[in-house]
Amino acid sequence: MNIADFLVNALLFPGGLFAVLLGLFLTGLDRKIYARLQRRVGPPIYQPCIDVVKLSQKEMVIPKTANYTAFRLAPLLGFAGMLAATAIIPVAGIYSGLYQSGDLLVVLYLLSAPALALVIGASASGSPYSSIGLSREISIMLAYEVPLLLVFFTIAMRVGMALGGTAIFSLSSIVNFQLSHGSLLFDVTLLPAFVAFLICIPGTLGVVPFDIPEAETEITEGPLLEYSGMGLAMFKLTGGLKMLVLAALTVALFFPVGFGDFWLVNLVWFIFKCILVMFFTTTLIRAMQARMRIDQAYKFYLLVPTALALVSLVLTATSFRVG
Amino acid sequence: MPMSSYNIPIGPVHVVLEEPIYFKLQVEGETVVGLDINAGHVHRGIEFLTMQRNFYQNLTLTERVCSLCSNNHPFTYCMALEKLAGIEIPVRAEYLRTIADEIKRIASHLFNIGIIPHIIGFDSLFMHAMEVRESMQDLKESVFGNRMNLSVNTIGGVRYNITDEQSKYIVKTLENLKKPLAEITKICRTDASIRRRTEGIGVLPKDKAIAYGVVGPVARASGLPYDVRVVNPYAAYDKLTVYPAVEQNGDVFSRLLVRLQEAAESIRIIEQCLHDMPEGPTDLGYMPDIPAGEAIAKSEAPRGELIYYARTNGTPIPERIKWRVPTYPNWAALNVMMPGYKIADISVIIGSIDPCISCTER
Repeated sequence: MNIADFLVNALLFPGGLFAVLLGLFLTGLDRKIYARLQRRVGPPIYQPCIDVVKLSQKEMVIPKTANYTAFRLAPLLGFAGMLAATAIIPVAGIYSGLYQSGDLLVVLYLLSAPALALVIGASASGSPYSSIGLSREISIMLAYEVPLLLVFFTIAMRVGMALGGTAIFSLSSIVNFQLSHGSLLFDVTLLPAFVAFLICIPGTLGVVPFDIPEAETEITEGPLLEYSGMGLAMFKLTGGLKMLVLAALTVALFFPVGFGDFWLVNLVWFIFKCILVMFFTTTLIRAMQARMRIDQAYKFYLLVPTALALVSLVLTATSFRVG
Repeated sequence: MPMSSYNIPIGPVHVVLEEPIYFKLQVEGETVVGLDINAGHVHRGIEFLTMQRNFYQNLTLTERVCSLCSNNHPFTYCMALEKLAGIEIPVRAEYLRTIADEIKRIASHLFNIGIIPHIIGFDSLFMHAMEVRESMQDLKESVFGNRMNLSVNTIGGVRYNITDEQSKYIVKTLENLKKPLAEITKICRTDASIRRRTEGIGVLPKDKAIAYGVVGPVARASGLPYDVRVVNPYAAYDKLTVYPAVEQNGDVFSRLLVRLQEAAESIRIIEQCLHDMPEGPTDLGYMPDIPAGEAIAKSEAPRGELIYYARTNGTPIPERIKWRVPTYPNWAALNVMMPGYKIADISVIIGSIDPCISCTER
């Protein structure tokens, strides 16, 4: 890989500009569908773009009690982490990813970047609401990372064993395997893992019923409370990117197969699949549920998705031993 | 190791509060241990103002004490003065007062029924309840000419009349309200995500409810069948049958259920009123003078018992008007409801007593 390719992939497509715009589009679409589900008109789909432009022009107020450097840099950390993740995840038929091995683990680390950014920003801001949000963010992160890791490991093992070796933590290998052997979504043994992964998405994104760290009516946006201007815009961008990263990851792990070789068809198909994932894991769920309490969410994540992921892990391991 | 104890301010401006009030909560870890209420942010001196204006100007003033229970203030004020002057109002006026009161009650309860899901993050139900409530706003606008302040009451009767056409319209609107209301009731009763956030939260036991003297839906959710419309009927309630909704658990969920049942009960009461209402005058036909004396009157506002005290000296200006609003005993009971629950439950417990700060601080 040469430097020019790297720069294009990281800054223009599929990372960088394209990812930011697609992330904002997904956020806008989510808000629009959510509004229509509630029989509201809803904001235009480009509303998140307007919000980001507006916020970036505003002054960033930094509280006296805040730690200046950490408070300023925290939003960047989350944004950078997500931007890096978009450049790593391959898009079938268009883009084969930055690395050839171990990038699944890198994505797992990068996925916690926005949560860590919130934690750092919240602890630097010195507001009591933020510190409540911070402790909740850490609790829920600990809870959803367990099933997430199990799902990743199950898939790595499934692909690795099918190819006659040990677990493969390479996203491009996993995608290529599915391109030649069919999507993992249609593998019955991986169905529980798929469900577990979908359940983890709203928790990672922090939307109802798992918007506990930001719970607007309880702790008034928690960690984001003291943020304004560019800092808040960064967090909004990070949110959009995170939605895209999770949707793209779902697509890459479970149903990357596209149509033929023409890039435009594959791109549209990819975006459509991202919208589908977003609709079923975010929009629909948050229109149908009330927020959980942190103890309820913690228990839920350590019981339901973890159990589902374990079922898949055991099924995958045993099916290959017998076969 | 003892858990760290710290204070969380809720208010004076907070997302969950529609009006300014300041709760200072002592918290240990995630658990609330104490509560300090700091009120007085919306004190406007309305009681003093009523002593500067004459009896008829005060009708307009008392209607503007608060918004959601705005009808009950002039209503009870009129009843106190009528009692003082010994005025018997026409029977039709009694029915018309009752109808206006129950329409306001449905609108007020549906507002709280929407707010509770909103607080626990269930915005779809909030939007749905508000959409359903909108039919009541339309009803108020088309029958009374206003969406909020009805300007119904006057001393000696009411200032509106219901034609046959309007009566049919009201019946039809209420009929259309029944189905969505039953649907919302079913969702609230059965939805797991609502129940896990409201059941067993903010419990006010019956003995504490009696000790704190709570009124309205808060009292009835704790198993006290106290409803002024039943125990001390006024207006047309002595001619109607009212079944108070009573729940036994005293938690947020019970208070939500009580409001849902009362909204359904109000629909039935209005239909009964429209059916039974006799023809006749709606007011005395003149503006009566108020002699010297003192009187007290009470009514069941959407939030509970509202008491008006009036003392006059024969001049057109009252010597003293004083009222006690339902939120006053109810918010004191937050001292029982809060401790032992989590930070996440604070908002929904506050919302469940449906506090009306403007009434209380006037």
